[in-house]
Amino acid sequence: NTSMCWEINVKDYVCTHDIEGCAGCWGSFQEMPASTFAQARAAEINAMLKAVTQKSSNSLVFQTLPRHMRRRAMSHNIKRLPRRLREIARKEAEKAVHQKKEHSKNKCRKARRRHVNLVVEFNRRQKKNIWLETHIWHAKRFHMVKKWGYCLGDRPTTKSYRACYRAMTKHCLLQDLSYYCCLELNGKEEELLKVLARMCSIDTGPTFAAVPCLSGRLQGSLVLYRADRYPEDVLGPITFIWKPKDGSGIPYETRQLWIWTHPSLKQDILTELKAVFQCSEPVETCSPEPIVTLLQEEKQTDVAMSVSKKRKREDHEGEKAVPVKKIIGDGTRVPLQSYCWTSQTTGVVISDLTMEILRYRLIGPLSHCVLTEALKTASVQTEMADAETELNNWWVENCKNSEKVSLHQRQEAIFELLQGISSPSEIAAGTILGLTVGDPRVNLPKKRSKAMPNPEKYQDNEKVRQLLLEGVPVECAHSFIWDQTICKNVTENKIPEQDLNHMRGELLVPGSQLDLGPRESKIPILLVQQPGKVAGEDRPGWGSGWDIYLPKGWGMAFWIPFVYRGARVGGLQEGLKHSEYKRTPHVPNDFPDCPAGIQFAKELENILLEKFKRRPPAKRANYVKLGTLAPFLCPWGQLTKDWEVRNKTQEESVVTSSADSKSCATESQVPCDLKPGLMIEDSQGDMMEEMTKIQNLCKEDGAATSSGFFVLRSRKLLKQLSAWCRPTCGKGQRARPASKLGQKEMTEDALLPIFKCYPQVLVWVSLSLLRKGSPELHAMICIPTQEDYLQLNKDQLFCGPQEPKHSDIFKHKILKLKERKKNNRKALESGASDALEAKAVEEPKELILGLWPDPLPDVTSHCSRILLGFVTQGDFSLAAGCGEALGFVNLTGLLHMLSSQPADKKGLVLLRTPASLQYRFARLNIEV
Amino acid sequence: MVRFKHRYLLCEIVSEDPRCRQCIDERAVGAAAKEAVARTHGDYGLACCSISFTVKYLNAYTGIVLLRCRKDFYRLLWSALPFITYLENRNQRYSCFFNTLHVGGTIRTCQKFLVQYNRKQLLLLLHNCTSEEERQSIQKSLLSCCLKEVEEEQSQSGDEEDDCAETD
Repeated sequence: NTSMCWEINVKDYVCTHDIEGCAGCWGSFQEMPASTFAQARAAEINAMLKAVTQKSSNSLVFQTLPRHMRRRAMSHNIKRLPRRLREIARKEAEKAVHQKKEHSKNKCRKARRRHVNLVVEFNRRQKKNIWLETHIWHAKRFHMVKKWGYCLGDRPTTKSYRACYRAMTKHCLLQDLSYYCCLELNGKEEELLKVLARMCSIDTGPTFAAVPCLSGRLQGSLVLYRADRYPEDVLGPITFIWKPKDGSGIPYETRQLWIWTHPSLKQDILTELKAVFQCSEPVETCSPEPIVTLLQEEKQTDVAMSVSKKRKREDHEGEKAVPVKKIIGDGTRVPLQSYCWTSQTTGVVISDLTMEILRYRLIGPLSHCVLTEALKTASVQTEMADAETELNNWWVENCKNSEKVSLHQRQEAIFELLQGISSPSEIAAGTILGLTVGDPRVNLPKKRSKAMPNPEKYQDNEKVRQLLLEGVPVECAHSFIWDQTICKNVTENKIPEQDLNHMRGELLVPGSQLDLGPRESKIPILLVQQPGKVAGEDRPGWGSGWDIYLPKGWGMAFWIPFVYRGARVGGLQEGLKHSEYKRTPHVPNDFPDCPAGIQFAKELENILLEKFKRRPPAKRANYVKLGTLAPFLCPWGQLTKDWEVRNKTQEESVVTSSADSKSCATESQVPCDLKPGLMIEDSQGDMMEEMTKIQNLCKEDGAATSSGFFVLRSRKLLKQLSAWCRPTCGKGQRARPASKLGQKEMTEDALLPIFKCYPQVLVWVSLSLLRKGSPELHAMICIPTQEDYLQLNKDQLFCGPQEPKHSDIFKHKILKLKERKKNNRKALESGASDALEAKAVEEPKELILGLWPDPLPDVTSHCSRILLGFVTQGDFSLAAGCGEALGFVNLTGLLHMLSSQPADKKGLVLLRTPASLQYRFARLNIEV
Repeated sequence: MVRFKHRYLLCEIVSEDPRCRQCIDERAVGAAAKEAVARTHGDYGLACCSISFTVKYLNAYTGIVLLRCRKDFYRLLWSALPFITYLENRNQRYSCFFNTLHVGGTIRTCQKFLVQYNRKQLLLLLHNCTSEEERQSIQKSLLSCCLKEVEEEQSQSGDEEDDCAETD
């Protein structure tokens, strides 16, 4: 309040005046001296002046003007204000709040939207984050996020959660996965296999050397580890494609291998590959491409400059020459830096093909209908369209070879046959089909329509049946996309959209099919079948589809035809949901043991914490009271450590109290019938051998083992666990004798080596809720007690037990701290700043009400039910029709739980979301 | 929304006795004014004037008082002010009278008037001063209030020189 303000000023003056001793003179002097009078007046004048000049209201200056003095556009044009107010208005305008983002307003809109300027602007904007070729299309329709150095579409702006799910299950969902990174390895097959074998393990499934993959017939997928570090130090999951052999049976042939990774994992994998292959120096000879493109760009720039000089750009001549060529590929690359590394010893060349090859994913049963309708195989061409241009010269060369023409015709035939297959899941997982197709823009439909299969046409077709039985033959996997020179040629000789439209306009019958004849581009592509749901029993093959690999530059030319054939486009969120319904771990969310996963978890914690702090304190969930120790970050390390400690103490107790086994059986959860003299069965022999091997391995680097946890990926052990998790004799469940599955009984002898070898291991599990409830991120997976089973037996509608409310032991502390802080502030005001500094040193981290401060107590036994693990993805599953969750549990804890559970209740766990006290029953599955 | 309209009476308390200034405080001034209104206009007048009646500003050194009253009834208060003959505080009475300088619609106009009025007074004082010493002290105080103005303006213009460098 202004009036208060100036009053205070005057009073201050009075105070100071009193101290000076003028008060004394009032009593003694009868008459007031003129000087005192004058001083008082002067002081008052000062106070009043200050009050008058201050702006009283919090409105803007022009708003205080009377109505008849207001002018249009006063708010941003100061010169329309009366002169006396301009100063104040200028200051107001300078405030950050009123500052709008400065556009390139030096040009008018028309100039800004001119093609040349638009390209310059786009090129500038994709210097920092890589744009996909479909960026503009996505940016108009999607919420964009900046992730992993890319601008990616997160989710559509329209409401389409369920529509995208329907597209995945019934039609076709299209995703742009061009942000996935391709690393190319070139070298002798033996060398490559020898070194790569160190980075993966046969335990986790087929490796690089798997025969169908090595021949180039199938795409393989595996999890990479740091060299010789299995089972720790995960680098991340990858998919790989070997270039098929040329047919000439030379044993020491150089092979080409593509490793496709997620961008968040790329740097780790690339450095590790370089280290393993001893590829240190970047080689100029093998990467002439960047330099050439640079030269070309410069040339193009010159041309563009000379053209644009005709326009009024003379004034810009001094400016740095900007490339007006549209950036194709990675815009963030440093032109002179090489992205190719070679090894002196082995001759292996590693090159980073990020953004060189585009990759789209089509998910859903109709995806090959979309493909077959949108793409037409290239016609055989024997003469050049133009002698001068390089357009299609590679294809003409190729067509001169009759063998290659016949191969092309076989590929074409198989591609046609795809229409007769009802779902991509019927073909072998990872089938590769190479193809050369014509320009897909030519046969674009006039309207967006839905591609439908035509099963009648191919019914009882012998060829279709043969394709389903035998799969695509090896030689059909051949594609020219492997050849970089051809790819470059194809990219450079693309007919621009403008020319194509011009030609369309010149057609005699408007709207008729455009026939480019020999000038039509031929594009080499690669089709890779993407297996859907492989593990588990329900919905086999759900979410299968095709991945299409294209040379760069052709992104939009293929994108629009797919969309016009009824493919719905999804973003990152849809990808996440896809993997959730497939029950596969998503990169990088579900790899808590690899560096990218740790980084992701940290970022997620920050985001969630910020979101939590944004709520008013009274509206926040008090996680201390709810008994949730870590609502934002799963403490995997501590969980595994706690379980290890727990296991040890229990073992000790078992050993000490083995005499009175009765009491032991009731109190501890470990089966305690220890029979040390039992003979190892034959079926267990190999298992034990493996165990001892791993045990030795673990001993070698014991320190590392004790420090970190890792995720169990050994298929053998996972299969064993999965068998143990199933209820053995339940209602409506077939009794599964263990011997039938070739599994052994869960006995002490089987468990002990596992405990020893894998003290700190997490297992990927899927959970489905028995009754209602929808699990959330970071929900806790807990072990039910005996009473819970009893109650569930008694009452089938029993939802689950409740967690008793915890007391917030930190609330008092926080209040105290607050008070102290208040006092400190007061002290600071009075000048004692040193005290505060001392206090600040004393309390390093601020306590937040409702969150447990950093050193967590024993996470397993904090609540009434013992904690087993956490959920990393959870939602109501539209596919299953109930709440489903995916997460990790501790192996030790899981085995303890399974051994103590009754036979018909095997694999039952309790789930509790972080912000709730209600536990809910869920069935735990391990799908291998 | 329509605001309540007020009138502000800017008055000067004139007293022979310099000790009178000691007893100038909000309560005394308010009580004296109300008492005068009650005497001249009765209970009705008092009630009318009491609505939102406050002493907004008061300076014991210069004897300036700012009284607030509703616009409808300020005439009652105004006409009652001449009937104040003394101020009473802590059982001491000092005779004085109120001299109304200005009647304004906002505090701001009153402040502006007060600045003008005080300047005039100071100039008058300078004109009528008798000794050299007095003259100097008055000149000093005159300059202090005028110089400050100039200084402030200068400092403000200094602040405004912001760098407009843009970051892309």
